Amino acid sequence: MSLLELKNVSKIYGELKALDNVSLHVDQGEWVAIMGPSGSGKSTMMNIIGCMDKPTKGEVLLDGVDISRESSKRLTDIRRDKIGLIFQQFHMVNYLTAVENVMVSQYYHSMPDEKEALEALGRVGLRERARHLPSQLSGGEQQRVCVARALINHPELILADEPTGNLDEANENIVLDLFAQLHKEGTTLIVVTHDPEVAEAAQRTIVLEHGKVAREVINENFGK
Amino acid sequence: MTKRRMFLRMITASLLRRRSRMLIALLSIGIGATILAGLVTIYVDVPRQMGAQFRSYGANMLLLPKDGETLNSESLADALQAIPEDELVGAAPYRYVRLDMTTRQQSFTAAGTDFEQITKTSPYFSVEGAYPVKTREILVGKEIAEVIGVKAGSSMELTWQPTSSSSDKTPEESRVPGASLSGQAEGFGGGIVYVTAALDDQAHIASLSVDSSTQTPEYGGRIPEDEAFLNQFIGKSLPLALGDSVDALTGATVTSSAVVEALNKATETAVSARPRTLNFQVTGILTTGGEEEGYVFMSLEDLKTMTGSEQVDIAELSVSANAEQLETYVNAITENSGSVRARLVKRVARSEASVLEKLTALVFLVTLVVLLLTMICVSTTMMAVVSERRREIGLRKALGASDSSIRAEFLGEGLFLGLLGGVMGAVLGFAFAQVVSVHVFGSSITFQPLLLPAAIIVSMAIAAASCLLPIKRAVAIDPALVLKGE
Repeated sequence: MSLLELKNVSKIYGELKALDNVSLHVDQGEWVAIMGPSGSGKSTMMNIIGCMDKPTKGEVLLDGVDISRESSKRLTDIRRDKIGLIFQQFHMVNYLTAVENVMVSQYYHSMPDEKEALEALGRVGLRERARHLPSQLSGGEQQRVCVARALINHPELILADEPTGNLDEANENIVLDLFAQLHKEGTTLIVVTHDPEVAEAAQRTIVLEHGKVAREVINENFGK
Repeated sequence: MTKRRMFLRMITASLLRRRSRMLIALLSIGIGATILAGLVTIYVDVPRQMGAQFRSYGANMLLLPKDGETLNSESLADALQAIPEDELVGAAPYRYVRLDMTTRQQSFTAAGTDFEQITKTSPYFSVEGAYPVKTREILVGKEIAEVIGVKAGSSMELTWQPTSSSSDKTPEESRVPGASLSGQAEGFGGGIVYVTAALDDQAHIASLSVDSSTQTPEYGGRIPEDEAFLNQFIGKSLPLALGDSVDALTGATVTSSAVVEALNKATETAVSARPRTLNFQVTGILTTGGEEEGYVFMSLEDLKTMTGSEQVDIAELSVSANAEQLETYVNAITENSGSVRARLVKRVARSEASVLEKLTALVFLVTLVVLLLTMICVSTTMMAVVSERRREIGLRKALGASDSSIRAEFLGEGLFLGLLGGVMGAVLGFAFAQVVSVHVFGSSITFQPLLLPAAIIVSMAIAAASCLLPIKRAVAIDPALVLKGE
């Protein structure tokens, strides 16, 4: 069953076609990587899937809802309810502790629950660092907090933008292991990356070039 | 944990863990609130302060006799009923009379008054020495003191010379304590017998001298030397009757009778021509810079002793009220009293009103400017805070924060700053007002309990208003910015 479906989606900025008639679909529980050089339209696609932008043309169905024509207020609601975001720059609220950063996500979603937030931090191995401010955490630790924050509301889809771009190999592996666990639990993952190793961890890789889907690669080694 | 607690936790964390920013915003609100609270305190206190200031420039109302009427203590007291006790600072009666200085060929204007009231209505009077506290004590104007060379501690004798206009005295007044009497009567063989007597404080005869040189030397002519005869008069009050209160000198019945007759006549007919002399102790020299320096001030009681009248010419009032109220009192007194009319000292009353008005306008204007400056300052700081926190705001929105959540969070921070700034402003503002008050007006002010909530509410309102534009900016931030690798 498909969770996400793009039908002939274009995003045009004046002369520039950031996305040019792209169609793709992602099944429920699937782990998909999106690759491509800079300017290939990765960010634009990410914004559209993440309910932060609307396509100029085409339809985007997320969990059966066409998000290409919704108001920005509705898009905020949908993003909050269905999507967990992970960013390259981590993006933590710098004056809140690790656990408070996780709770911010709960706060906007439903109800802050410190116990649950601490459990999520435990899951990414940071139970001991819960009371630390971002400035007291390493980059890898910060990104793990962000993973905890992304999964705290049990989203249908985790959307990660270069999640390992600023991490060393050890931390990259930790994050990929976490993704593997989430995948096992049935969470749908879309990971935008330019790192082939990260892409290879996914079941399927979609390669974008000049705003179009250049090719799709099925990772035959997945799970091995 | 409830949403509200998380909300408060986020806001306080934002302010407490980002101290430098918070300090700038807090300072701008706090300083604004301080100046505002200070100005408002002064603003509220100014009328009182100015009132006190102006009261020190002297009386602002006069009580005068209506045409053909005279004033006295009673009619004044009646008239003063129209003014509430707590607004009446003081009421000094004055009566002006010419007095002669016995030892010199000089006369002065003497003012009978109430010294206790003078200190209230004319606080600018400067006395070298002390104010008189009892009768027979006087205050001498500096001008006179220089001319006659007296100083505090000197004594001087003053005499009241009746004038033709004072013929309205009643015989009663001859029994005024301290009066001097002189009279004459026909004695034995048609010769004239002269007497002079002085009355003591109880109006009893204190001393008596007789000139009986026209009488038979062996009989009536002996009277001036006959102490036994003269002494029987001492301590008696007039009129006398021969054979009843005093006995005749043996062999000089006619002359004795003439002495009694002369004394009795003196009380009846010589009243209006009787000068009275009192000896005074100078307690202080008065400097005012005005015409008062040419006067001698004594108690109304002493003046009554000398002149026999308790008439008052004018009363100076110092009333702590605004121009409008003063007008009401003036009208009430003039309408209700039979003999008294009231008049404003326009110079003082008017300048008080106009200075007050100008000062109030100035404080209001400064308040307005400070208010505006504070708002600009807070707004600018909050604007800087928003642009500094663009990513955080974008992140919050990406995490699902609605526009109203973002608004609530920034408004919450602004209100929290307003609260702290308000408390700071109320406390420091009061201190500021106190310093200004002490330095400018020379008096301290009382803390207005209402100042604290008022300062807090106003600073919160200012903070909230200042946040409107920054919040608009914050809401407009695109959540997608967090995705671009900025």
